[in-house]
Amino acid sequence: MNARRLRIIAVTAISFVFLLAWAFPILWSVLNSLKADQDVLAYPPKLIFTPTLDAYRDVLFGSQSILPNLISSLVISVGTTVITMLMAVPAAYALARLRFRAKKFAGFYVLATQMLPPVGIIIPYFLVLRNIGWIDTYQGIILIYLSFSLPFAIWLLVSYFEDIPFEMEEAAYLDGASRLRTLWRIIIPQVRGGIAVTIVFVFLNAWNEFLFAVVLSGNTVRPVTVAMFNFVSVEQTLWAKLAAVSVLAMLPVVVLGIFAQKHIVKGLTLGAVKGGGRR
Amino acid sequence: MSRGQARFADIVKMHGDFAALRNVNFEIAPGEFFALLGPSGSGKSTTLRILAGLDAPTSGRVFIDDKDVTAVDARDRDIAMVFQSYALYPHMTVAENIAFPLEMADMPKAEIGPAVKEAARKVRIDHLLDRKPGQLSGGQQQRCALARAIVRKARLFLLDEPLSNLDAKLRLETRAELKKLQRSLGVTAVYVTHDQEEAMTLADRMAVFMAGEIQQVGTPAEVFARPNSIDIAAFIGSPPMNLVPARYANGSVTIAGHQLKTTSSITGEHDVVVGIRPGTLRIAADGLKARVDLIEDLGDTAILDLDCAGTTIRMRVNENIPREGEEIAITARPNDIHLFDPTTRKRL
Repeated sequence: MNARRLRIIAVTAISFVFLLAWAFPILWSVLNSLKADQDVLAYPPKLIFTPTLDAYRDVLFGSQSILPNLISSLVISVGTTVITMLMAVPAAYALARLRFRAKKFAGFYVLATQMLPPVGIIIPYFLVLRNIGWIDTYQGIILIYLSFSLPFAIWLLVSYFEDIPFEMEEAAYLDGASRLRTLWRIIIPQVRGGIAVTIVFVFLNAWNEFLFAVVLSGNTVRPVTVAMFNFVSVEQTLWAKLAAVSVLAMLPVVVLGIFAQKHIVKGLTLGAVKGGGRR
Repeated sequence: MSRGQARFADIVKMHGDFAALRNVNFEIAPGEFFALLGPSGSGKSTTLRILAGLDAPTSGRVFIDDKDVTAVDARDRDIAMVFQSYALYPHMTVAENIAFPLEMADMPKAEIGPAVKEAARKVRIDHLLDRKPGQLSGGQQQRCALARAIVRKARLFLLDEPLSNLDAKLRLETRAELKKLQRSLGVTAVYVTHDQEEAMTLADRMAVFMAGEIQQVGTPAEVFARPNSIDIAAFIGSPPMNLVPARYANGSVTIAGHQLKTTSSITGEHDVVVGIRPGTLRIAADGLKARVDLIEDLGDTAILDLDCAGTTIRMRVNENIPREGEEIAITARPNDIHLFDPTTRKRL
């Protein structure tokens, strides 16, 4: 009895440490975004303070409003996600299904592009975009993001497509459906969980990307990750504003996550094919 | 000419160097229940897939209603199929599953509803139309797959081992229903099975596959009565035919020193394989001596394992069942003795 109790306490304590490590950055951001500047820097940290929305007001409607940057981020992320999915879904389906000579190589190549350290290609990317005049443009940044998100999305989606038994498609062909209609009516509804997961990841990566954005963007197109950096300068760091922007920047992703969760229902194909097909 | 005729002409299917099908020729008549029977790997499923258009033959031609469809897409062949796994669409309800082929054929919405209900009623799942496949039992899923196949009046109705995922009792029930359904619809059915009993009871005619070749085409009664080869003789019947090496001379065969008359008129002396069905053996005082090794009592009938000078022969008896260890003597009528060539394995 005593040993069991001890174990419960130990497990709870360890869990609490992990929970704290996970929750701390979010808590810290939310708390600091509600503080006045002098409260942020107070030492020891003030746990009890008068909350204020000053930081939010400043970053949204002040002279350094991040609204245009949020819009930039949104255009870039939505653009990247939409184009990625439009191309990745048929590509992943092809990789999962069709038999062609270079299939193995194609699959490996898709994965190999993910192994490249981004820093190694940032300068070439910059030079290429400058030569075609696409620095500081939406199409420039989206193009570069696509080069990462597309292989990743294809790689992630292929496994979902592979889980669908061949016979399901053959049944659809015999029922008179074309290949495209089969994909749309029979296959995609069954991989919608995987598609939802992929959308969240692709959007998240594009939304939070900083390294390429800081190099390839400019005054016209400046995503929120780069704009946030303006609150950090040599003289001072505007912690409250930085925290407020962080919280604001988190919101679209959280909303997307909640929305996607509805569609991420596991075991959708369970019971359709007896014996579970080729799982 | 009525719809639903199919013909295979010199179909060959190679997988690399391996011949999955060699020179397959057969014809299916409209309205026929035609079984493709054979052990696993004999090529029967490949044949069905080629007929459906899911696989292409390496050479040869496929005709449906006298039209060469070898190069025609599966979806343009007007064929309905029930898969072994049923292949129901898991995200759709039973009604949506059954309606899918009609939708693809651009049938007006107003006509789809009644057609779906009618098909579901025929297989008695009209009370399950709003369920998803995952909420159905195995038997119900099987019926849903059947309904999806019969909802549109396809030229051919293909079934790939449709009963193999059902338990024994349900399999027998469904078998009878399937036959009735096919009769009432008047459709041509092509049925793949490895279960000779299924083929015997369901089929009007059947093609027996062995190692990528059709060895015999005929009615179940014909195939049972006159198997073409040793392999078919060993495959059909439960228990299958006894196959015993023997010496043939001028109309008689000698097994374990005992002579049995045959109907054969072949002259000279030959080594043969003698085939005798367990049910046609009879006890006779002047017959071949045998000792009863084992009795499998099935209630109304019993299968005896007999030892005839080292050769095991199985015999079916309905009455006067001997005891184990007893010495008996058996014989068979000349009509019931089949002769096969041991080298070509063909019927003599």
